[in-house]
Amino acid sequence: MPEVRDRTVPSDPAAGSAVEPGPRPPARARRTTGWLTGWGFALPFAVLFLVFTAGPVLASLVMSLSDLRSADLLDPFGVDVVGLDNYVRLFSDEKFLTAAGNTAVFVVVGVPLTMALSLLVALGLNSGLIRFRTLFRVGYYLPVVTSIVAISVVWRFVLQPDTGLANEILGFFGVDGPNWLNNETFALPTLIVMGAWRNLGFGMVIFLAGLQAIPKDLYEAATIDGAKRFAQFRYLTLPMLRPTMLFVAVITTIGYVQFFEEPFVMTQGGPLDSTLSMAYATYNQFGFGNYGYASAMGYVLFVVVVLLSIAWFKLLRNDVDD
Amino acid sequence: MTRPSRRRVLLVAVTAVALAASACGRDSENAGPQQGEEVAEGKASGEITVWAMGTEGEKLSVLADDFMKENPDAKVTVTPVPWDGAHNKLAAAIAGQETPDVTMLGTTWVGEFAKTGALDVVPPDFVREADFFPGAWDTGVVDGTSYSVPWYVETRLLYVNKAVAEKAGITEAPKTWDDLKQAVKDMQAKGGAKWGTYLQPGQMGAWQTVMPFVWQNGGDIHDGSKFTLDSPQAVEALEYYKSFYDEGLSTKDRLREGETEPKVLSGEIASFVSGPWHIGLLNELGGEGKYDLWPMPGGSGEFTSFIGGSNMSVFKNTKNRDAAWKFVSYLMRPEVQVKWYQTVSDLPSVQAAWDDETLAGDAQLKVFGDQLDKAKAPPSIPTWEQIAAGVDTELEKVAKGASSAADAAKAMQAQATSIGTGG
Amino acid sequence: MTDTTTRTVPRPAVARLRSRDRIAKAVLYVLLFGGLLVVVGPFLWMLLSSFKPEGEIRADPPTWWPNDPTFANYGNLFDRLDFPTYFTNSAVVAVLTTVGNLLFCSAAGYALAKLPFAGKKALFGIVLGTLMVPSIVTMVPLFVLTSNLGLVNTLAGLILPYLAQAFGVFLMRQFILSIPDDLLEAARMDAASELRIFWQIVLPLCRPALATLGILTFLASWNNFLWPLVAATGEETYTLPVALALYAIGQNRTEYDILLAGAVVVVLPVLIVFILLQRHFVRGIATTGLK
Repeated sequence: MPEVRDRTVPSDPAAGSAVEPGPRPPARARRTTGWLTGWGFALPFAVLFLVFTAGPVLASLVMSLSDLRSADLLDPFGVDVVGLDNYVRLFSDEKFLTAAGNTAVFVVVGVPLTMALSLLVALGLNSGLIRFRTLFRVGYYLPVVTSIVAISVVWRFVLQPDTGLANEILGFFGVDGPNWLNNETFALPTLIVMGAWRNLGFGMVIFLAGLQAIPKDLYEAATIDGAKRFAQFRYLTLPMLRPTMLFVAVITTIGYVQFFEEPFVMTQGGPLDSTLSMAYATYNQFGFGNYGYASAMGYVLFVVVVLLSIAWFKLLRNDVDD
Repeated sequence: MTRPSRRRVLLVAVTAVALAASACGRDSENAGPQQGEEVAEGKASGEITVWAMGTEGEKLSVLADDFMKENPDAKVTVTPVPWDGAHNKLAAAIAGQETPDVTMLGTTWVGEFAKTGALDVVPPDFVREADFFPGAWDTGVVDGTSYSVPWYVETRLLYVNKAVAEKAGITEAPKTWDDLKQAVKDMQAKGGAKWGTYLQPGQMGAWQTVMPFVWQNGGDIHDGSKFTLDSPQAVEALEYYKSFYDEGLSTKDRLREGETEPKVLSGEIASFVSGPWHIGLLNELGGEGKYDLWPMPGGSGEFTSFIGGSNMSVFKNTKNRDAAWKFVSYLMRPEVQVKWYQTVSDLPSVQAAWDDETLAGDAQLKVFGDQLDKAKAPPSIPTWEQIAAGVDTELEKVAKGASSAADAAKAMQAQATSIGTGG
Repeated sequence: MTDTTTRTVPRPAVARLRSRDRIAKAVLYVLLFGGLLVVVGPFLWMLLSSFKPEGEIRADPPTWWPNDPTFANYGNLFDRLDFPTYFTNSAVVAVLTTVGNLLFCSAAGYALAKLPFAGKKALFGIVLGTLMVPSIVTMVPLFVLTSNLGLVNTLAGLILPYLAQAFGVFLMRQFILSIPDDLLEAARMDAASELRIFWQIVLPLCRPALATLGILTFLASWNNFLWPLVAATGEETYTLPVALALYAIGQNRTEYDILLAGAVVVVLPVLIVFILLQRHFVRGIATTGLK
């Protein structure tokens, strides 16, 4: 695992609050017991995690260096090590490269869009509303839990070229709307909007929780200081929300680098591969039984997410004045 | 196929996966056609576990109960498996050696799972090839060895809106490609349909629509030694397919599941190609009596359609092999096949079952039955799904005018050749 | 933002603020209701269509209100599915998975956020790293492992692989990071044990985070499809999504009537969990006030 990340881990989350750092007992004995207690807290998780998550992940990493195919399933260890061959092949695999391009667009546009929408909704719902609060919270969460089949039926209906709601609204403004899902230019942007729509409830829930962690008296102090709302948001809410934003950013990035369901139900990767994603290509290779090759694809996804996450950690690190 | 260095994976050290590593290298040599071992006479006994997908899995216990009445010492447990994910489940089960005794397999999966070495060879005296539709039997044969027995079948016909066809003055099903083209044109021009037909414009599964054209034209996918996707016959078939889009007879937009039926019944689309399940789908929308079934036309004299369905296989590591095969062969008895048709509407793979009045007396079914004699499946090679996906991509380019028939054929051939037959 | 203004502000200013507040609030409600229409559409269609016969569900164009409402889809669903078994399996798996994650992830998250120990960075790195590997990649190795542990076709086999997830630890760590160290140090000065600090200070402050983790873990576990399908080799350990896929998605067709009725039944527990837990999205104690 890359170690780079650790340097950028927020070190002092309370920075920016009005608190003075308290005195720390530096005694050595304290540190040793600290180790013990630290591991004591982490151990139950660590054991389960290493066995059931890290183990299979490691095995799959080795798989990506082999030529394992479904024909070898009875004897998975009887395969040949091909080193980085699978990875090299990937970079001349036209489909995969197309998919990588589509995925990049999806992530670069989709992640900020989704985060902004979720944050907006969370702020709206957190701004002292009393009435309908639960209704709103549940409502905006519904796309997350609605059956993807129902979602696809309704969206497809809305996106119908001739009779769909989307084009009727555009027609009202004199715009002749495109055939959204069957047009190579518009299919991917359409799925990005759909992705943001489906996932904003997820971000909203986490932002809502994160907003509660910001001490109320900080706001009170800011109000007394006459801070304008936007200034309050810019200099108080945003910095305090950084650990939460980092989490949402990383998780949303992971989800979007692996985006799959939207093209799977809406376009099957078409038209002409314009919505084929990397995760979809990986899924297909698994279906074809090319386990080694498919795993290599999975690890390319992994590397992409790691790099993006490092970027997020750098961008959202907790120094207020960077 | 040449392979790079033959070192074995040294997984043992890294595994939290505590699998005993009895690495024995890869079996690359082909042992040639094999014969299944004999099955002992007498009644079946002991436990038999069966996996079956979807509706078949849900209802198979009906037949299993009958079987147990006949074989009181046998106990059949059917586990229904969702189609969605079934392939993954089987693959994992083989890797973890957690397979049942008997499993249902999609016809295009047989090549792949046979290559794992997990499937038992069909005992030839016990299940006889001659009983089945030849196209169906071939789906279970891999490198000359039979690993799987066709259980039920389906084939594709043209569904045609009756009113539109009548308005266009068409009185009988077209016999040749030219006739079909003319009929489609007429249904659009005179019959009032927006689209004379709907041919799937590429993407997943489009090969099932187009390969029959290749077969009808005397071409094939593989001639036993090499792929022949760029043969003149194949190119011609692709050109025929392409012409429907170029002439504006079929939409280039992919219709999603559920979109076709209402459009066909309303006459917006005059015809489309599909399998027997569409009878039920159309009838549920009130379409009974509103459509006709046309058999496939001939290109150069052949009238071939696609054959699909599902097979039954026995796993090699079964502890109850004889009973497992007895259960499989029970399912293939003509009277049991008829009962199965009555239970879930699956078409019998056994030819004799079609003589039964239940099937012979049904005019719609008869068209399917006749077509089944002239229906073909793709070669049962483990790489077929991957090759088919490449074909589907090229077909989309052809349909959307992004590629010529000849270029697409060349691309299909090149991809298929580089993927190989997985041998 | 907040509805509190302080008494120290002169009266006319308060009045001005109040009326601006009121307008702002009205605008906000309009916006939120507008957004609500956009987000609930498909859910409403799913709900309404679950009372339509299959033919109407597949009508083109689709209808909103059922022409002829019927409970037949639900009747059908409960007739064909061994509902109690699947529901129990799903509930046991989802509840235990959720409780396990709440416990293990908050403890580990606390350690990673606030306690110094050797290997901490490595552990966090590995946790984050595995989060980024697509799960389908590990399916076969995980199954082989489960098989060797003898857990295939048991509920334990469905639960254990998900009992301690990277997602939860990452979430809890991020939230616990924002708890001021001074609060914990103050307690340590009072010679409180780490366990007590965790239990009496950290966890109560984490209520919103725990609620979030509970909601998300329950949802993921409840809807999980591929692993329960692969790991259950017999019908008796099937969960609801597996059973629903079995009945609703055929080889060549989807049975929308069963599918939509099933989707509604499946979503209810998720919504109940959400409604119950979202109440905890309230501010923790005013942390900076404690010194």
